[in-house]
Amino acid sequence: MKFFLEVWRQKNAQSQGGLVRYEVVGISPEMSILETLDVLNEQLLEKGEEPIAFDSDCREGICGMCSLVINGYPHGPEKASTSCELRMRHFQDGQTIIIEPFRAKAFPIVRDLVVDRSAFDRVMAAGGFVSVNTGNAPDANCVLVPKDVADKAMDAAACIGCGACVAACPNAAAMLFVAAKISHLALMPQGAPERDARVLNMRAQMDKEGFGHCANEYACEAACPKEIKVSNIARLNREFLRAVVCSDK
Amino acid sequence: MSFLSRFYSSSLGRKFFVAGAGLSLCGFLVLHLSGNLLIFKGPGVFNHFAKTLDSNPFILPLELVLAGFFLLHIVIGLIVRYHNYQARPIGYAKYSVKGGRTWGSRTMTLTALIVLAFLIIHLKDFRFGDRSQGVYDLVVSCLKNPYYAIFYIIAMISLSLHLSHGFQSAFQTFGLNHPKYTPAVKKLGYLFAAVIGLGFASIPLWIMLGKIK
Repeated sequence: MKFFLEVWRQKNAQSQGGLVRYEVVGISPEMSILETLDVLNEQLLEKGEEPIAFDSDCREGICGMCSLVINGYPHGPEKASTSCELRMRHFQDGQTIIIEPFRAKAFPIVRDLVVDRSAFDRVMAAGGFVSVNTGNAPDANCVLVPKDVADKAMDAAACIGCGACVAACPNAAAMLFVAAKISHLALMPQGAPERDARVLNMRAQMDKEGFGHCANEYACEAACPKEIKVSNIARLNREFLRAVVCSDK
Repeated sequence: MSFLSRFYSSSLGRKFFVAGAGLSLCGFLVLHLSGNLLIFKGPGVFNHFAKTLDSNPFILPLELVLAGFFLLHIVIGLIVRYHNYQARPIGYAKYSVKGGRTWGSRTMTLTALIVLAFLIIHLKDFRFGDRSQGVYDLVVSCLKNPYYAIFYIIAMISLSLHLSHGFQSAFQTFGLNHPKYTPAVKKLGYLFAAVIGLGFASIPLWIMLGKIK
């Protein structure tokens, strides 16, 4: 297959970037979009040009490292998949594909398609954890969790922190990410002791990083490769209100 | 007060203010519409209703509270909008994500500004206008101007669009989202938006059609 890729090229955080058009040939339909970029990079290297910088790691949809906004969709137009899982058979031979980096003030561009998502790490460090004394493993079933609650917590815990929700949000808000982390821990008994401090601190860090406000347009849910639901955002709002009204903090 | 200012300075807190004031204003719209529709009962009933309202000593303090809700909703809403613009300094060459995006949600700021412009003109002409000949005559004489009536109708379509997203969105902001009732809340929001829009727009429409003289 043959494709025309319009890829965002930008030397570094300070420089001005722009879309550059490339032709890439010899692509098989089962290749992923990342592998297509690999092929293009080999062609660029042969010509003595700078290869395109982009993020990837596991290439099996579980690490959250790949980013890319493909034809206007974070991780591409396919439902519940990451960029590395997006196969070229979903495109037509000879199609033009626009590839841009995630766009948000809180995710500054490092180079080409690579953005710095350490804002998420700082939000997590502000409270996205439970403090436990390490030691022997506790007895099984000594902390009871109902099955339906465990399921909800597990669904929220499926978040891989890729940032597609921020990329998709018209306001570059990080609400779905923070909501997933808050929900995951707030639903479990192990998360209860730090429940109030967690939501207040993670919220504060989220704002500090410069993410936008949620406008309840649910573009995040549509883009999420792990199908995190916006009902988690409602839970985040409840948790926040509860912490503000009921806690001493 | 430090608690309130801390609450306000958070992104989630600001949204609570906008949503809370917005839902309160929905209540006001119902009251306002119920009064307006008396115009179909003729000048006697309508003018009597307006006079009764004006002679109520509690109206002024209530109007001030109402103005407060409007200011909260508009000012904090615009601040939120400003922060949102700042959160993405460089936009996409191509942006395709839809999700729950509707005509209503997409045009929230535009419809807000149209309704705000309408609100200012509306207050100048009706609340602070010359009501010596009775409010009925004032309304009819203003809306006989087809440009005025069309602007009025456009503003009401904008209000309706604004409500179609705003009503249901407020529930989500308050953390009220559950498969049990969220579908009903969404339907109620659309119904409310339609009733309010059609209700208010019916008056200039009837005057344009010459049914109210």
